[in-house]
Amino acid sequence: MNDLFFSFIPGDSILHRLDPRTKILGLMLASMFILKVSSFTGMSLLVFVFLSLVATCKIPLKHFFRSIRPMLIFFSLIFFMQLFFTEGQVIFQYRIISASHEGLVLGTVLTLRFVFLLLFAVLLTSTTSPSKITAGIERLLRPLPLRYAGISSHDLAMMMSLSLYFVPLLYDSFKVLRDSQLSRGLDVKKSPLRAIFSLSVPLVSTSLRAVEDVSLAMESRCYRGSGRTSVHSIGYGPMDHIAIIIYLFLLFYYIVF
Amino acid sequence: MISIQNVSYSYNGHIPALHSVSVEIYKGEFVAIIGGNGSGKSTLLRHINGLLLPSAGSVTIKGMDTKDISSVFNIRQIAGMVFQDPGSQFIGMTVGEDIAFGPENLGLPPKEIRRRVESSLSAVGMAGYNDHTPGKLSGGQKQKVALASVLAMEPEVILFDEVTSMLDPDSRMDILSLIKQLHENGTTVVYVTHCLDELVHADRLIIMEKGHITHDGDPRLLISRGDVMNSGLGLPPIMELSRRLLNAGFFEPGCFPLSREELRDVLCQLK
Ligand SMILES: Nc1ncnc2c1ncn2[C@@H]1O[C@H](COP(=O)(O)OP(=O)(O)OP(=O)(O)O)[C@@H](O)[C@H]1O
Ligand SMILES: [Mg+2]
Repeated sequence: MNDLFFSFIPGDSILHRLDPRTKILGLMLASMFILKVSSFTGMSLLVFVFLSLVATCKIPLKHFFRSIRPMLIFFSLIFFMQLFFTEGQVIFQYRIISASHEGLVLGTVLTLRFVFLLLFAVLLTSTTSPSKITAGIERLLRPLPLRYAGISSHDLAMMMSLSLYFVPLLYDSFKVLRDSQLSRGLDVKKSPLRAIFSLSVPLVSTSLRAVEDVSLAMESRCYRGSGRTSVHSIGYGPMDHIAIIIYLFLLFYYIVF
Repeated sequence: MISIQNVSYSYNGHIPALHSVSVEIYKGEFVAIIGGNGSGKSTLLRHINGLLLPSAGSVTIKGMDTKDISSVFNIRQIAGMVFQDPGSQFIGMTVGEDIAFGPENLGLPPKEIRRRVESSLSAVGMAGYNDHTPGKLSGGQKQKVALASVLAMEPEVILFDEVTSMLDPDSRMDILSLIKQLHENGTTVVYVTHCLDELVHADRLIIMEKGHITHDGDPRLLISRGDVMNSGLGLPPIMELSRRLLNAGFFEPGCFPLSREELRDVLCQLK
């Protein structure tokens, strides 16, 4: 399960060595473009950019496809919704179900956008360790006047990384609970409502306990919201400067066209 | 080093978990605390590094009061704690990051943090595990990592709360010998357990019952006198055998053997 969410693959490529902030900003910029393009040329260009980035970081393409797999249902849902519920020139008809040409185009574009968003995000998470992402987010948030809201950028970044951390933990305790309830004769098919209750109530109480345990562990290791440092000495190098210059050009292009 | 004075504590409104407990722990000691379930061992331990604050009485470490907000940070650096459940005390996604968490909080420079991560990992015999996911390690390895993350803060006292209770016998021996080694290198150890076999390395034993300290002294003496059994904890077979041999006059209470090896040595000397 961990592999799914935090598929960090250690390495020593240019992408690995870039400052996390550069990569996070890059992902934001890429998302802006992804949400804008609808032409075939635009899409091809995105594919080209993605593939060349993958080539530089020496991570097998297989890894990226694997991370799409769990989302396939979601993607096909989007695609078919668009396909069948968009009005337009009918290209296929079966009783009341009809697919339109416009729907096909729109569905393809939308689905591809989601796929691209995911792929670029995976590119970030697979070349950056979670704590580096946290450190990057923390640094990016630092200029914001968060302290007027009574919170530090460390707290906020810590919250983000902890919530990411709890996802696989919750999933694991869900599996344990499900197995134990199944072994006590819980029948999910016969009484789904009871199944939901008998799983969710203990799940909430175990997760509360887990939260309490982790907060005790954090406290006893001197956690504080300010004055922390990071193992990762993050700092911009020449590659980061080049990347930022490219970003500026792209941003200019984005705004003008 | 650690001074606990008339400490009482009750979890919000329940019956008190500690009744006016007083105890001094000195530098370099290996103190074992035993007692049945719910006797207040964890509660007492959590007072030592300020995770809990006494309802009455006071706890001081090297002269710093745990109630003093400004010294809590220093107290927790001096007294580290390893918890019972190997699964739920990790904060990092990787072993290296988890161990770095403490030093990061201390505000150390990145280079020093990395040095401490390396040295504490190799101290527990897990060098090279930096990029592993803590969740995927075995129970014993998890506890070693948990110990390493405490070591990375370079504490003077380490508090252990039933750290071996979820481990198999082999991992238990591993962890125990690591702790013994730490003690030999000068770390003060407070070791909570309800396993009497683990007392071999302790030079002082505190027995707790219903929120009171009922006995405090030399483990060999306390066990040979049978004080332990009165507290509702059964003796392991080896100690039971030793006790019967003692009662039959085979040896003095002062050299009461606590393990199979010790018993063998004592018996061999008899000849
Ligand atoms: N979080 C809590 N909230 C309320 N009561 C608690 C809490 N933790 C412990 N207690 C109560 O305080 C008393 C002492 O508990 P404590 O955990 O210190 O015992 P223990 O000696 O560590 O036991 P064990 O061997 O089971 O770990 C018990 O009666 C327990 O029910
Ligand atoms: Mg306990």
